This record gives sequence, C-alpha cells and structure tokens, in this order.
Amino acid sequence: MPIHERSLIESERVLRKERLVIDGIDVSGDWNLIILPRTVEDYDLDFAKEIMESPDGKTIQQCYQCSYCTASCPVHNYWDDRYNPRHFIYLARLGMVDELQKRVDVMWRCVSCHKCTHRCPKGVLVEDVLKVILRAMYKRGLIGDYPSKKFDQFFTESVLEYGRIEDGELLFGWMEKQGYKIKKDPILRKPIPFFSDIPKWLKDMVSKPIKEGNIGFLMLNAKHMLFHPRTKEWNKFKQVLRKVMEEEGALAKGG
Amino acid sequence: MGIIGKRVAYYPGCSLEGASRAYDVSTRIVAKELGLELDYLEDYNCCGAMESKNVTFMGTMLLNARNMSLALKRGHKVIVAPCNGCSFSLQRAEYFLETDRKVFEKVNELLKEGDVDPLDEIPHTYHLLEWLYNEAGPQKVKERTVKPLKGLKVANYYGCLYTRPHFYARTYAHAGGNGEERPRKRETADDDEHPFYMNELLEAAGAESVYFEPMHTQCCGGPHSLSDEDVSKKFVMMILQTAKRNGANIIATECPLCHASLEMYRYRLMLEGVEDVDVPAAYFTQLLGLAFGYSVDDVKLKDNLSDPIPVLRGLGIA
Repeated sequence: MPIHERSLIESERVLRKERLVIDGIDVSGDWNLIILPRTVEDYDLDFAKEIMESPDGKTIQQCYQCSYCTASCPVHNYWDDRYNPRHFIYLARLGMVDELQKRVDVMWRCVSCHKCTHRCPKGVLVEDVLKVILRAMYKRGLIGDYPSKKFDQFFTESVLEYGRIEDGELLFGWMEKQGYKIKKDPILRKPIPFFSDIPKWLKDMVSKPIKEGNIGFLMLNAKHMLFHPRTKEWNKFKQVLRKVMEEEGALAKGG
Repeated sequence: MGIIGKRVAYYPGCSLEGASRAYDVSTRIVAKELGLELDYLEDYNCCGAMESKNVTFMGTMLLNARNMSLALKRGHKVIVAPCNGCSFSLQRAEYFLETDRKVFEKVNELLKEGDVDPLDEIPHTYHLLEWLYNEAGPQKVKERTVKPLKGLKVANYYGCLYTRPHFYARTYAHAGGNGEERPRKRETADDDEHPFYMNELLEAAGAESVYFEPMHTQCCGGPHSLSDEDVSKKFVMMILQTAKRNGANIIATECPLCHASLEMYRYRLMLEGVEDVDVPAAYFTQLLGLAFGYSVDDVKLKDNLSDPIPVLRGLGIA
C-alpha cells in the first residue's frame, strides 16, 4: 500500500454500483465510484502538543512528509508495509488518535535501527519521535502492554534497582514472563537453567560452556547470577532517578 | 594521527563484564598491543541501552550524565565504548546536552541532588573501532601482525548504531532542520553509509573482506531480539545468508548485542533447517588478537556460542 492515506477511507464509505441511473441518465461503469465524506471531529490536538513539548519529540514539527524514513525502514520493507513512520507522524500531528489506535499491532515494531533519523533531510529525530508517540499513547491507555514495552520496563527497572543489568536475569526473567517455567533455587530465588522448562535452543546454548569445560566463563556468569552486579555509590542517585521517573509517569503501574 | 588521544576513559558496559567478556578481554589485548591505554571507568552504571530511552527521557539523560561526570572526575574528556548501544546512548546524551540548554541545566541540577559532580563540560564519546582506527590505524596493525589471518574471508558487520544516526554518531554534516547552527561532523568519523574501518583493520591483519553491502549495516533485531522474535529471526537470516552466499567464512562483529543476536538466531535457524546460515561470528578484536600472536584461550574464543574455532583451525590461524 504505497499511499497510506487511502486507508483513512473506511471500506463502507466507498460505493460502487453495477448499474446506476441518476436523473434518468445512465452512469454505469467503472468510474461511478462514490466516496462518502468523512468528517473528523474527535481529533486530539493536545496529543500533538504533548509530543512537540518533549525534548526528544519536538522535531516532529519539521517533518514535510517526504517519506524517506519509510523508504529506509527495514520493518516496512522486510516485515509489514503497514508499518509506516511517515504516516504515523502525519496522524499524530493531526491528532487522529483513533486512527493511530487502529495500528497498534504494528506501531511498536520499530527495531531502533535509526535509518529513518539518519536519512531525514529535515532533521527530524524520527525514531525518537515515534517512541514519544508510543509513550503518549501508552499514557492515555490507547495502547496496551505491547511486548517491547514489557521488556523496556523490565530492563529499566533492573537498571534503576542495581545500576547495572545482568544478562542471565534479563534472559531468564524474560522467558519467565513469556510463560516458561523457570526453576529457582529455594534460598536466593535465582533461576537454575538446567532444570527449567525452556526451549531446546536455550538449553543447548547454556550447556555449551559446560560441555567444553569453559570454567572461567561459567564461574563469571554464575557469580553474576547469584550476586547481581551493582553500582556502588548508587542509593542517593537512585532516589533522584526514581523521582524523575515518577514525574514522567515512567514507573510501572502499581509498581 | 593522534586526534582523539592515546589514553582515554574506558566504558565497557554491563554486557562486556558478563556474557561478552571475550570482547572485553580481546579489546584490552588489542589496545595494549597497539600502544594505547584504556582507563577503566570505576563504578559506572548502565547506559540505559535501547530500552530505557523508550520509558523515560530525563532518566536516560541522567544515567549517561553520571557516567560522563565520572569520566571528567578522572580527568578524561574522551570516553571510548566498545558497544554500539553504549556509545549510542552516551552520544545521544551528548547531543541533547549540547543542543538543549534547558536539558543541560536540569540534568546538572539533578546530578547535584544525587551527590554526583555536575558537568562543567561534556566529554565526547567514541566507538572503540573509530578510536583504534584513528589512533593506531591499519599501518600499525600491519606492523604488529605476527600471524596473518591468511585465507580468512570476513563479512564485516557494523550494525546500526555505529554510524547512525548522524546527529549522534556525527558521521556527516547536518543537511537541514532547525536548531543546529554548526555542523557536528567529526573528522575522525567513519563513512556513514559505507563504513570501512573494520574492513581496513582486518585486511591489514591479512584477512580478506567479502562484499557485504547493504547487510553490513542492516539491523539484527537489536532491542527487539527477545521481545519480537519473528522480525529478529528474519533480519538475522538475511544477514547470515548474505554473508554465506558472498563467500564469507566468518562474520566479524563490533557490538556485544549484535553478536549475541546473530549467534542466538543462527543456532535457532540451524535447528529449523534453514539453509546457508552457519557462518560463525567473532569480535573483530578477537581476530586482531589472533593475528597479534595470541592464543585461542587468550582471546576467549570458546565463549563464542557460534564456535568459530573449527573454521580458524582449518585455516591454520588458531
């Protein structure tokens, strides 16, 4: 679908008749297509304003809809052509949040490769703008907990807690959120990969260093899983960080 | 040369101290061999990677500003990060702190509140590859090579954020838009669409680079490699198949996230019986380490899940 604005006309607005006679004149034929007008009244201009006011979203004003971002986008080109950054910017600026909401199944799919931002001739930080749009939609409850949101939240809260992340925690914590049964030791509540119900590829990956006797690697990662790496002088800074995130409404709901 | 500085603050990032320790170890080896010095940034925190910026803007600025403050405290104006995600995050913070006065003031205020020294200037962040190329260069690598990587056909995989976007990575002068008075291109930066620093370094060490465009800067799924498996799998498949079909016998990487994503999906694709995806991956520093005469254990090649050792042994390199 090269021209995405076509999707703003819902199919029930398009009338096409086999035989059509108006005022005694026969207008049958392919050209008698009638599009019923659509009046948009429920646009939300505060939505665009909110994006323009955030430091990473303000460049949305500079967009002149050339679609270079979409032409560069790997998600658009190799995955789903309904993913169209230019169109999302268009809708956000018009405040057509209901149309954005119809696209929530693809809107989160951005892989942050930054081809769009890099190539934009007008200096729009496209990737940042799209993430701000998603953030604003999430705040208004227009989009639910999409997969990458869950991961971002999980990741950020781990950083907030410890100052650093740990690969094992992220991987197995994420698998657990996906519904896999992760076995944990009774005392420290840390995951034990070998007795867990995880997919074969992950089991094989985890057992490779054991098979090869790569003891240094195993020791290091076991140590990190048992004692989460952390930043030492973190507590005071953490409080400030938590405060900032609370102000932005960035902490998980209820957490 | 000597534009960036031979002694810099080293920000390894969380990944390099855990599952990607091979990259950390081999980076230190290569830097030492090339007469460069990495000063470990004590007590750093996570940069927020590609995840926390989607959750909180100011929080991500703060995370990076704290690391910058640590570097300044140790007397460094240059930070080197070997991870694409880390260098991206620091450079992104650099961009907003430099171009948005309000953000800069707010960040300093909050840093003070959190008992961290406020920033009186903004240190610049370079990717490890850019630093190695500019401070040592292919000539030096050639001089140091004792065991050339003869017969090794490398697909040099740069990933997304090493050259993109130019606002942060400063790979070319800004063409349009508002709010930016001076061009921010850096003299030392790699070419934005056709990066070649890794090609030249590995070629200097005796390897041969295969044609790998445009997949050399194609996304591997990156931050979605766990949360959006279908897309990531397809992207990795495209990268691996292009490498294989262009005759590569190894993929050289320069980011722990890309590396992990490539290795993880390579194995999953192989289990599914997809063709032409069995090219193993190794960090470019591991390959340079081998060329400088270090052993398989020295550069921790066993840590690589895709197991490049048989390929390297077959060519008599490892």
